[in-house]
Amino acid sequence: MKMSPEFTKAQQNMQPGVITSNGFLGDDHRNVVEIVEADEEHFAALGIDFDEIAERLRFLMNEGRKGLGEPITVSDRWIVTVYEARGHLASPFEDGVFRKVNAQIEWAPDGNASGKTILVSDLSLHLLEHYHFLQGRGSPFRLEPPDLKEVLAY
Amino acid sequence: MVPFAYFTAPLAVGAISAALAALISVTDKIVNNYGDIDVAINDGKKELTIKGGQPLLFGLAEEGIFIPSACGGRGSCGTCKVQVSTDIGPVMPTELPFLEKKELEEGIRLSCQIKLKQPLSIAIPEELFNVRDYIGIVERINDVTHDIKEVYVKLPDDTDVTFVSGQYGQFEVPPYDKVKEATMRAYSMSSPPSDTKHLEFLIRLVPGGIVTTYVHTNLQEGQKIRVVGPFGDFYVRDTDMAMICVAGGSGMAPFKSIFQNRIDDGTINDRDIWYFFGARTKKDLFYLDWLYELDRTYERFHFIPALSEPQAEDEWDGPTGLITEVLGSYLQETIPTEQAKEGYLCGSPGMLDACMAVMQQHKMDPERIYFDKFA
Repeated sequence: MKMSPEFTKAQQNMQPGVITSNGFLGDDHRNVVEIVEADEEHFAALGIDFDEIAERLRFLMNEGRKGLGEPITVSDRWIVTVYEARGHLASPFEDGVFRKVNAQIEWAPDGNASGKTILVSDLSLHLLEHYHFLQGRGSPFRLEPPDLKEVLAY
Repeated sequence: MVPFAYFTAPLAVGAISAALAALISVTDKIVNNYGDIDVAINDGKKELTIKGGQPLLFGLAEEGIFIPSACGGRGSCGTCKVQVSTDIGPVMPTELPFLEKKELEEGIRLSCQIKLKQPLSIAIPEELFNVRDYIGIVERINDVTHDIKEVYVKLPDDTDVTFVSGQYGQFEVPPYDKVKEATMRAYSMSSPPSDTKHLEFLIRLVPGGIVTTYVHTNLQEGQKIRVVGPFGDFYVRDTDMAMICVAGGSGMAPFKSIFQNRIDDGTINDRDIWYFFGARTKKDLFYLDWLYELDRTYERFHFIPALSEPQAEDEWDGPTGLITEVLGSYLQETIPTEQAKEGYLCGSPGMLDACMAVMQQHKMDPERIYFDKFA
């Protein structure tokens, strides 16, 4: 798949200092389409689905909000902490503005912390759900497919 | 034989490109040279002449007027609002997400998005004239919990800081790792105003957070650090109503300052103070010894820590549940219903919204609930 004008513009917006100081691409030298294609292949190989992953992430973020800023155990399988910072972030695809809400989700079978965590934000969930974009390697909010499968218990 | 043009063509293209670049640069200097711009603040109470062409936020900062900004002028936080009475054209698309209808009608704009191109008349809160830019030295860093650090900053010897308990400062960290620019974030002061030579902050590690990650992994004692402040209108109102204070995590900061200030000025026992502090487990609680001592020492000070998920090893026999549940229980059963009350809240938007709902269920006047939202 070639970079469409939409993806080309998004890639420009993903550079460090445009929307966030770190940017969205980390130290990954692939373009956005190459990153998306590779992660879609990885998802298929792992037998996981973007829509299902997005639905579970959204469920956990919503449940995590009930902790009122403190960690909360969800379904006796995850410990979720939702952090909210001042301000908003624009989507690099220029299709929305999102509050700075991050959730740290830790796999915790029977309520016991495992140390295996993923970090997801309102914006990164949007990018996953709508563009299958999990961010570049080395980005602080990169979502690795195996981590998603393991922590989300698929 | 290689054609002559093989060598000359790249040189010609390079020369033309250089000429065009020079032309653009010169044109930019001529066309976009706005010269010095006059800016009148608060009906001419302060009049400045600022170099044009730059964002108003930065121009004001150069002149020592610091508008609060949590994103450093990137247009992503929406906090650097000023009221502009000069016609400077339509609101930018980058401003719209942060401005409510009423604000648009009142001429509120984001100062980071306004380019200084013409004389301006603006209005800002008077207290911003008191904001200063400090370069301090990190004197002490303490771990108060597994994810909260207490950072104590010494100000220059010739400096006396003035602020009101409850206000916040903008704490700047330098570029590090992949972060190529200095980054500022806002944190409430936890030190009391009586300590005019220091500022103290409680900084909780936020995964993925640029400033909090730096503070928790790189910041060293003895290091120079920039702090701009004070900002904010979260402070104790001068009434004799009972103060119902609620916090969680680093939301402790303004209350530590407020309580110590009331000890310092002798007013700690002048009105009832109920302090509800929520955490998940015992390892998330801190300053317990000091707060329990206040509870024992001062008849009208009441400290109620609550754990939402106490662990077996915590051996916790205090209140259990979300802080909203414990707050509701006390408002229902312990704190006199007929007593006039004010609410003081510091925490995440979710916590604040939930606490406000509980307070209003118990007939507290929403106009008398004051808060410092983290977001």
